[in-house]
Amino acid sequence: MTAQQLTALLPFFVISATIVAVMLAISVRRHHRLTAFLSVVGLNLTLLSLLPTWLAGTGPVQVTPLMVVDGLASFYMALVLVATLGVMTLCHAYFEGYRSDREEIYLLILLGALGGLTLACANHAATLLIGLELLSLPMVAGVAYATSDRRAVEGGAKYLVLSAGASATLLFGLALIYAATGALDLKALAAILVNANLGQPLVLAGAAMVLAGLAFKLSIVPFHQWTPDVYEAAPAPVTAYLATVVKAGVLAAALRLFHAAGAPPSPLVVKALTILALASMIVGSLLALRQDNLKRLLAYSSIAHFGFLLIVLVAPGSRSLETAGVYMATYLITSLGVFGVIALVSSPAGERDREKLSEYQGLFWQRPYVVSIFTAMMLSLAGIPLTAGFIGKFAAIAVGVESDLWLLVSGIVLGSAIGIYYYLRVISALFVPMPGYERVSESMSWAQSAGGVMLLLSMLLMLAMGVYPEPLFLLARP
Amino acid sequence: MMNYLPLVFVAPLLGFLVLALSRSRMSENLAAAIGVGSVGISALTTAAAIWQFSSAPPEGGFVSVHLWTWMKVGNFAPTFTLHVDALSLTMMSVITGVGFFIHLFASWYMRGDDAYPRFFSYMNLFVASMLFLVLGDNLLFLYFGWEGVGLASYLLIGFWYKDPANGAAARKAFVITRVGDTLMAIALFILYREFGTLNIKELAVIAPTQWAVGSTLATATCLLLLGGAVGKSAQLPLQTWLPDAMAGPTPVSALIHAATMVTAGVYLIARMNDLFALSPFALHMVGVIGAITLLLAGFTALMQTDIKKILAYSTMSQIGYMFLAEGVGAYQPAVFHLMTHAFFKALLFLSAGSVILAMHHEQDIFKMGGLRKHIPFVFACMLIGTLALTAFPFTSGYYSKDEILHQAYLTGNHDLWLAGLFGAFLTAVYSFRLIFITFYGPERFDAKHHAPHGAHSMDHHIPLAVLLVLSIVGGFIHLPLDAVLPHAPIPEGEHHGGIVPHLPLFVSLAGIAVSWFLFLKRPQIPAALASGGLAPIGKLWKSAWGFDWLYDRLFVKPFVWAAETNKNDVVDSIINVVPASLRGLNAALVRTQTGSLRWYAAVAGAGTCLLIALVAFH
Repeated sequence: MTAQQLTALLPFFVISATIVAVMLAISVRRHHRLTAFLSVVGLNLTLLSLLPTWLAGTGPVQVTPLMVVDGLASFYMALVLVATLGVMTLCHAYFEGYRSDREEIYLLILLGALGGLTLACANHAATLLIGLELLSLPMVAGVAYATSDRRAVEGGAKYLVLSAGASATLLFGLALIYAATGALDLKALAAILVNANLGQPLVLAGAAMVLAGLAFKLSIVPFHQWTPDVYEAAPAPVTAYLATVVKAGVLAAALRLFHAAGAPPSPLVVKALTILALASMIVGSLLALRQDNLKRLLAYSSIAHFGFLLIVLVAPGSRSLETAGVYMATYLITSLGVFGVIALVSSPAGERDREKLSEYQGLFWQRPYVVSIFTAMMLSLAGIPLTAGFIGKFAAIAVGVESDLWLLVSGIVLGSAIGIYYYLRVISALFVPMPGYERVSESMSWAQSAGGVMLLLSMLLMLAMGVYPEPLFLLARP
Repeated sequence: MMNYLPLVFVAPLLGFLVLALSRSRMSENLAAAIGVGSVGISALTTAAAIWQFSSAPPEGGFVSVHLWTWMKVGNFAPTFTLHVDALSLTMMSVITGVGFFIHLFASWYMRGDDAYPRFFSYMNLFVASMLFLVLGDNLLFLYFGWEGVGLASYLLIGFWYKDPANGAAARKAFVITRVGDTLMAIALFILYREFGTLNIKELAVIAPTQWAVGSTLATATCLLLLGGAVGKSAQLPLQTWLPDAMAGPTPVSALIHAATMVTAGVYLIARMNDLFALSPFALHMVGVIGAITLLLAGFTALMQTDIKKILAYSTMSQIGYMFLAEGVGAYQPAVFHLMTHAFFKALLFLSAGSVILAMHHEQDIFKMGGLRKHIPFVFACMLIGTLALTAFPFTSGYYSKDEILHQAYLTGNHDLWLAGLFGAFLTAVYSFRLIFITFYGPERFDAKHHAPHGAHSMDHHIPLAVLLVLSIVGGFIHLPLDAVLPHAPIPEGEHHGGIVPHLPLFVSLAGIAVSWFLFLKRPQIPAALASGGLAPIGKLWKSAWGFDWLYDRLFVKPFVWAAETNKNDVVDSIINVVPASLRGLNAALVRTQTGSLRWYAAVAGAGTCLLIALVAFH
């Protein structure tokens, strides 16, 4: 192994060391703040360790047949790490008042982040599967973290069973393709997906099953049904994790699978993808329409959003890669903000998160600043100009228009139009005061807490991306 | 050159922001210092600009101060450039000069009002917008200022919003001027479509090369612009909002509804004179509208009893003179009259405000009387203002109004001249009616409980004194407008002489005499006339020729009827199909979210099968 390859793997070493250190620290002495501190420092170091490879700019570094560290990998590793940091910060605020053991959640999240990094660099069916499992399995425990809550345990079980089923489907699909062609390398797999008629029946079935497995992780209709239940059951920071880290990691792998060949996928795959995308946009938006539970609403909104995003898999090319990066980054920052607010107004953890829309009725008049951030984030999810969400959606539509994917473009337009309704419904609830409300000025102490700082930062970033998106596009360019 | 010029509107804009963000928590003195001070800075800036402009006249008679390009889309790149010439300087000095003294007076007048800082924030907003209006070098920015003053006017008319009537007056002003603004916007669209620019200077060069004199499009555009002007300047047929606008505090009436904003229409037409030169018909319509308005308003003013309404109708009528002047091509006298009118009408309104406060918020002149002994200084102000209004010799109004009538005669518009002459007679009658009833005759108020009390403070006296002086000497100011505005087209051989130049004076004197006879000497005559055979005409005049009634029948009633008939909204019921069907789909889909693991797994399995089928069958 050369020095260059070692440098490229540096993030893996650092985060693994962090995981070991945190594990040891917990076994020596339970200390919430110390654990959080160690994790955050480790994550920051991991983020820094991305720099040498990125700055060297030597192009893709192949590390064994299993992994490759290139521009795509670096960008998505950065996204995974930033999102994990955000989730970490939320955890600290959220679990401070939690009565049972608080420290393991950091371990789970760090392990998941390792899975995300692996997925971003995966160049082989084996790494793909390992990464996927490492990303999702710790979250089974994460979803069911509040073991005394029946709902959380039920959500964890659902996630476990369905996720395992999806992984099995994916694995089975890979095995079928392997049996027919002997391909395990992602490049070779990509070449097969490009093949016009996909060759033999075994490959056909295999490709469909791989697609199904990935679609489950990205909550694409009809593999979406777990999403609202699990989002609702999980503690708010874990929901944020599911919405950001998991999605970013899986998207990276999917992009590699569909873009490595450098040609449009087979028309058969395109047909399947188009149907999945359209179904997600429409069904996701329709389900969110009259949803009264904020977490479920956001789950449906994420289903719709990843329906929009599938357009980049249908139309490969450097423009799509760039768009995928921009869309993912804007969605990630916005989701962190939204779930951050939910975590912040819910903690210290009570019986249940503050998730009913009625509990947000007129919240503006009690917590004007936090709610202003929330409103900005909702506008971004709806894709209103001058917010990050607008830029992402604009780029996605631009890709569709360039590649003449009019069906998908009209789907995005229709889905967004329905989206405006339910996002505005939430916003209007925030501002319409409850009868007999009391107008109290909130103290600004929340802003000094780590969670508050994270919220402010994410809002500033979100607005910066919306007003001046140039740098983001540069970063996302492969 | 003139890099400091932006200060002229930046100062009131900052004042507006500071006062608005203070949320009325500021002390009165601080608010007054900011509100009046910012306009003072504007006035000083204007003075500096005038000094620089006249000591070293720029080439071409104007200075452009480019600030920034607003936005750039294709070849549409409206710049924000200030255009300073004699016309904009005249407007600026009226806005900031007269505006400053009105602000100063207001700082006395509004004492004790709960929303003192709010008042000054609106006033500063108005001054800044009005400066935008007169300084913009393109019609887009002029329009921006145009809408800004409309907003400020709305806010200030409804300043005492707790009385629903004031809110109604504000809405009326807003909606009616909106009619004119829409017409004006259409004119702007046409100009941009035809010439690809909204820059006033460029338009003046391009338009004559592309449009023949009297062409339909030129006439249509000019008439649309005229529509905007009559809305803002309260001329026929959009004049009905101005009397209601008197619901605002009196300094507002002085600044916005007498001295500055209502003359914006006059400014617009003067600014666009090159365009109006292409449409003699539209230009003649300007004069005709002015003439009709000045007569109708003059008759109406005869019958009013509210001191502010009399002044409002007199404003309407004086702006009619300015329109009349522009209609005969006498732009320079129009602008001259605009300035002198600003002086004496501001003086009249401020004096009226002083009278109203002295009378404990009484506005009915028939509940006053004999006031000259109680508030002599205000009486002097009112008298000088009225003399200027009736164009009495050696007052400012004499020079400007005389010039207008004279040029109307010389250009051969004898019908307009005759209307103006008769208007001068009416002016003398109604304005001295106000003087005689308010300040002479028996005291018709309860002297014990409501004795008039005069004001004794400098911020009351100084503005009145300054405006008093200006109302007298304002006529000697020479405006160097030759570089901006054309001369009236007076045919060769026409010259002064004969009795014609002196007629307006005789007519005015006759009017004063008639007024004295009717309202002081024999007050029973008008009373008998009003209750006797002439009652219907009196009623008609009093209701301002029934325009409100007419518009109510023509527009409001049918609209309300249509809205009531269509209560269930036919259009909506079609559109409602969309949300209803979406709700239906939502309800169907929600059933799939059972929460049961078996079902989810089954669906995922089925989905996988479906995918395989999709890929397999082609």
